[in-house]
Amino acid sequence: MNRLVWLIALLIGAPAQAQFKLPDLNINKLIDTAKGVVKATREIDENEEIAIGSDVAARLLGAAPLMNDLRVQRYVNNVGRWLATQSERPDLPWHFGVMDAPQLNAFAVPGGTIFITRGLLEKMHSEAELAGVLSHDLKAIQKGALAHLSAGAAGAALSNVNSEARNKLVAFGTEMYSRGLDKGDEFEADRLGVVIAARGGYDTYGLPAVLQSLQGMNAKDSAVALMFKTHPAPGERLDTLAAKMQPVLDSYSSQPQLRERFAMETKAAR
Amino acid sequence: MRLLILALLFPLLAHAEPATVIRATELKSAPATDASTVAQLAENAAVEALERQGGWTRVKAAEGEGWVKLLALRYGGPGSAKKGDTGIAQIFNVARTGSSGTQVTTGVRGLDEEKLANAQPNPAELEKLNHFAVQPAAAAGFAAKGKLSAHEVEYPK
Repeated sequence: MNRLVWLIALLIGAPAQAQFKLPDLNINKLIDTAKGVVKATREIDENEEIAIGSDVAARLLGAAPLMNDLRVQRYVNNVGRWLATQSERPDLPWHFGVMDAPQLNAFAVPGGTIFITRGLLEKMHSEAELAGVLSHDLKAIQKGALAHLSAGAAGAALSNVNSEARNKLVAFGTEMYSRGLDKGDEFEADRLGVVIAARGGYDTYGLPAVLQSLQGMNAKDSAVALMFKTHPAPGERLDTLAAKMQPVLDSYSSQPQLRERFAMETKAAR
Repeated sequence: MRLLILALLFPLLAHAEPATVIRATELKSAPATDASTVAQLAENAAVEALERQGGWTRVKAAEGEGWVKLLALRYGGPGSAKKGDTGIAQIFNVARTGSSGTQVTTGVRGLDEEKLANAQPNPAELEKLNHFAVQPAAAAGFAAKGKLSAHEVEYPK
């Protein structure tokens, strides 16, 4: 099922990619090659997904490094790994990182890596809110919503394109984070993310609470400009959650929020 | 003693935000549907959001204090000045955290589109990322400490 989503994502993603020009690289030809390989095999190997994801993660870390604080990094990994255990892909090599950037954002990288920024962490009030955001991104990875980022690159790697071309495709994949994903995929990741948070035993209103905080910010504020450009408006996401998830939200809303633990463990970020 | 009271009040004050109710809503005396109703809030009534508990937010309204459904609230009241930008918020951030990180002089440094477009791989940071990872057993222990218990929840149809 997951593989099928990948293939579809690749095919849908291709036209958008074709419009994008990089110097010294014929993207269209590489995409065609990748499509050919993927079509032929009907499957992208999980190891390949992990390898490409790791390359994309290294690029993102070139844009903003990790916060230099073991305590906060371990904490976010504990929350994230616990939630990943409740998901359909518990065996991926999950990695979570807090990037040292004041902007508010989060990035789901194929292969099981999730970054959130210090700016976003600062805006949160509880572990349940952190869990809500991480669960959204966990689902984004699982549903293959990001697959088109890596599918072209994975196909290129499979067909033995030279490493320089592969590097450029990874750079291109990283740059896709400036473009955003399909709105419907974002709404779906919100809904399914709420379920993951509920399974992990967290107060399900964590994600809505974060969305509400974001919704109160000025979209023109440079701290949220990129995130607002690449995601549906927070108010719209809240409306969609209210319309479809009220029963699940209310059934698990009395689970722990863990405000104190969050405050204690993320001190370095605020 | 006074200090203690201040310390207890501070988190609430820090989180008070102007908000609006997006539909006519009952202001409840407690965070529950069957709690008594303090007042009826009209659509677009301006309130001050104080704290959250589950799906409820405690608010201060002209009619008094009480609880409304979180999903009935939107932050930033009508006509209320929203947080401006001009980089001041960022500078404030730096001053407040005391860590300049990657942003040094202006408010627009850090993780933006340009940075993403020009990013070069940073293998040293990737290695750190790998180092921070935790194993499932450790994460389960961490969850138990927080009294989090896993259970089955189906995806909505």
